[in-house]
Amino acid sequence: MLTLVIGGAASGKSEFAENLVLTLPGQRVYIATMEPYDGECLTRIEKHRRQRVGKGFLTLERYRDLGGLEVPAGANVLLECMSNLLANELYSHQGGGSAAVLKGVERLYTRCANLTIVTNEVFSGGKDYEGDTLHYLRELGAVNRALAAQADRVVEVVCGCPNVLKGRLP
Amino acid sequence: MIFVIGPMFSGKREYLQKALNLTLEELSAQAAFDVETLAAGEENLEDLAARLSQYDFVIANEVGCGVVPMEAEQRRFRERAGRLSCLLAQRADTVIRVCCGLPQVLKGDWKC
Repeated sequence: MLTLVIGGAASGKSEFAENLVLTLPGQRVYIATMEPYDGECLTRIEKHRRQRVGKGFLTLERYRDLGGLEVPAGANVLLECMSNLLANELYSHQGGGSAAVLKGVERLYTRCANLTIVTNEVFSGGKDYEGDTLHYLRELGAVNRALAAQADRVVEVVCGCPNVLKGRLP
Repeated sequence: MIFVIGPMFSGKREYLQKALNLTLEELSAQAAFDVETLAAGEENLEDLAARLSQYDFVIANEVGCGVVPMEAEQRRFRERAGRLSCLLAQRADTVIRVCCGLPQVLKGDWKC
């Protein structure tokens, strides 16, 4: 089953997604996409690591080229998060843009039993954007729509509460 | 009038086209897009909402969920945009929010 979880900053989307994956039997794999390039990133990564302690996730760090990642066959994979992965693919020299992201998801999904993807709602804060930021928003919007179209379920998380946009929760 | 609201790049237009089986040209003939951009320049929002309600479909972006902007002009833009959306939703028979291309009916009867 393919699940897309979307929410604003600090909306509780990660915890919700983790708990959703916990309901699934079998091996759990967490794909971390944030590249630790400064102290703030490290602090955030540490917060998320603590949040996952005891939940039985094997953590794999992957900043780009999702399609080249090997995961244990039949695992329940949580990918966090799409907004980081897309930025890495768009703005690094080795990056392949949104096409690489969507192809990577497609390949990853063929190997795992369940794939849960966390993405960000960053599109309701006004229209005062231009250049790279506007391009990033347009690309992330397109990726989110493509993933939502493929997904079996799509859940928007608002202050920790699920708003089901497609499919149903267990 | 059917009012469609949602985040930028959430696929509002595409959703309507698909739901109604219309080309962009056909939809454009009966719809007003990006109406939040009209609000700042309009003295009377009620008049603007009344005029827009003549269309079959009115589409607006949600723009009010960020931090209060530093610039007065931007603050006015989002304030007016939000108020206009409220007025349009009041007048609408149906209000649909589109997120990630997926519709949710906030008001009225509409089969998604």
